[in-house]
Amino acid sequence: MFFKHAIKRLSMARMPYSTDVKSALAALRKKTGYTFANCKKALEMHNNDLAKAEQWLNQQAQTMGWAKATKLEGRATAQGLVGVLVRENIGAMVEINCETDFVARNDNFKNFVSHATKVCAQYTEMTDFDGDLWKLGFESEALRNLKLDDGKTLGDHLALLIGTVGENATVRRAICFKTNNELSLFGYTHPSKDSTIPQPNEVRFGRYGAIVAFRSAETNLDLQKNLVQHIIGMDPNKVGEKGKDEPVENKDDEKCLIHQEYLLDPSATVGEILQENQLEVVDFQRFECGEPSKNEAFAAEKLVN
Amino acid sequence: MPIFRDCALIILRRNVVQGRPIVSRCSSIACRKLSTSYGAKSTFSESSVFNSFLVSRNRRANFLLTRSFSSETAEKVNCNIGTIGHVDHGKTTLTAAITKVLAKDGLADFIPYDEIDRAPEEKARGITINACHVGFSTKARRYAHTDCPGHADYIKNMISGTSQMDGAILVVAANDGQMPQTREHLLLAKQVGVEKIVVYVNKADLVDNDVLELVDIEIRELLTDFGFDGAASPVIYGSALQALQGAETEYGEPSIRKLLEIIDEYIPTPTRDFTSPFLVPIDNAFTVPGRGTVVVGTIKRGVVNRNDEAELLGFGESIKTTVSDIQIFKKSQPKAVAGDNIGCLLRGVRIGSVQRGMLLCAAGSEEVSNHFEASMYLLARNEGGRSKPLTSKYIQQLFSRTWNISARVDLGQDRSMLMPGEHAPVYLTLLRKMVMSPGQSFTIRENGSTVATGVITKRLKSLNLPANKLSKVVLQQ
Repeated sequence: MFFKHAIKRLSMARMPYSTDVKSALAALRKKTGYTFANCKKALEMHNNDLAKAEQWLNQQAQTMGWAKATKLEGRATAQGLVGVLVRENIGAMVEINCETDFVARNDNFKNFVSHATKVCAQYTEMTDFDGDLWKLGFESEALRNLKLDDGKTLGDHLALLIGTVGENATVRRAICFKTNNELSLFGYTHPSKDSTIPQPNEVRFGRYGAIVAFRSAETNLDLQKNLVQHIIGMDPNKVGEKGKDEPVENKDDEKCLIHQEYLLDPSATVGEILQENQLEVVDFQRFECGEPSKNEAFAAEKLVN
Repeated sequence: MPIFRDCALIILRRNVVQGRPIVSRCSSIACRKLSTSYGAKSTFSESSVFNSFLVSRNRRANFLLTRSFSSETAEKVNCNIGTIGHVDHGKTTLTAAITKVLAKDGLADFIPYDEIDRAPEEKARGITINACHVGFSTKARRYAHTDCPGHADYIKNMISGTSQMDGAILVVAANDGQMPQTREHLLLAKQVGVEKIVVYVNKADLVDNDVLELVDIEIRELLTDFGFDGAASPVIYGSALQALQGAETEYGEPSIRKLLEIIDEYIPTPTRDFTSPFLVPIDNAFTVPGRGTVVVGTIKRGVVNRNDEAELLGFGESIKTTVSDIQIFKKSQPKAVAGDNIGCLLRGVRIGSVQRGMLLCAAGSEEVSNHFEASMYLLARNEGGRSKPLTSKYIQQLFSRTWNISARVDLGQDRSMLMPGEHAPVYLTLLRKMVMSPGQSFTIRENGSTVATGVITKRLKSLNLPANKLSKVVLQQ
């Protein structure tokens, strides 16, 4: 405190000094992007030494992030993004929430979603299993405890994000896929940055996302993309089995994938399209940003009944 | 009764002249009502018909008019503004402080913080929008102030046409400076057509002058980056909280008064466009025996002179004609300007070829087209919209102004599907050529309910309709 006063007095007494302080503050803020209040504090603590102040800020960022995260905890996060990544036989899909869609459109946020999705994919890579398809869902708590290469947890990185954007954010859920044998995975998001097929190892963002496991002799990526888009758009709750699941009367209420009208050609059902192309949907998972998860929906239903 | 009637018309006219979208829409509906009730009287003598075509013979209609417009009689012009900024930088506190300071002068009702914060969702054209609208006045103008929590809400607000923002207040907290997402806030402002931004640096009492200066430099830089006039944009320092607590210090109430003064000055009142070629959307048309066809409408922009060459466009028609007479409020006039509700006597036009929804414009100034670019919002299921997403080649009935026509909606190349509750740029193709200008709103209905609403953003070159079928159109994107 004394120090702060001293500087104030100094800066008032000697004008050139004040300009130095100001340009240092401007430079530090521009370089680090930390808030003005924190940049000023850092400079005051390190006698206007830019390098030291920056170092201190970076060290403090984690603590300040956590402090901010604790302060904002409990504020509703209904916006956000779903990140989807598929490479070779693994796939990962993560939902991260924030308070406003302004933040969801910001690059800082997108980078974090991308990071989190890659971490989940990496985790999946280390898993060995027998059989055709392996699937693992993560809840928020487990995700936050995931360790990253830099020794920090995903939760630490989330706190850093909260410190940067000043809004509450949560790692909501994730799901990982891994396949063997002839199964292949396809991931897609909506709205996507364009309607092209995602590159391998490219993280796509959107308010909706889906990963689908296909079994097919040959791969037709365009058809797979359209089918995943259908799943995002029509929100089926199961694949369905021919003969076992009967189509419902009102086509608009159909929740069984194979009996749904194909989005891009309503004259055919998805089942017919699949059969025609010798394709089988083994399993799928669809995320919609902000939707109640299956557990939450179940709990809500229980409450009503 | 005659005094009463004139009174209503004067009020009506003033609203047309000053009219903001909502007001002018009401007025034109009212005028249409008047002229329609008049048009039924086909046995009038020539002069009485033409001279009094705006005067309703329906006492009740006049009464309703006077009543419905009495609240709009304030002399002040209206201006639409909004606040944008980070959630914690004090947007709501500022709004509350503005109402509190103005309440002292009797120019607003004080609305406390939590009432603004808990503003219920509102419905406009069937769309649920999360927005808070607060009204207040300064000595110069009346303001409709909008505050939305999200990007999507502002876009919906724009599409549904409830209020076009004339300017915005960007709220930045001095201790934080601009946030990463401030970029997104400014992008939004650009997107909804805001040109003038006033910056309110909140929490100025928490930092010293050096920091304030830096915040100032930084925000001006950012404004310039996004195509706003960073150098000229006014920046006001204050503390909305202090103002709300009634402090008379520099950052307290005086900062709010200064902000309002500067908004009065810096954000222009949208003016009527008197210089562009004239445009009159036609509300009604009738025949005056012995003279010819009269069309009635409110001049949207420009000036109409007697004997001007004009064109009548719409529904695939394009008729060349001349304005042989103009009448405003029973009197023949040599010219009429934007905002006037006029009747035009057209030379050599048969009544059968004129339809409500057509447009009268200066010869050669407008083009009809069947192809447009638009920004469209697809209603969510709980708003009564579709449950299924929409893909390209979607054909339904499109409604705009007073007409409707079959239209096809196509999505841009980067989007292959539009989910209910989402908005996107779209391409419209109409079955017949119509005049639609940027800013014109439309809705699309399916099975008797509104499923989409939007605004035109650009007129494109007409497309060829093979065999007159919308489904056969090939889009060149």
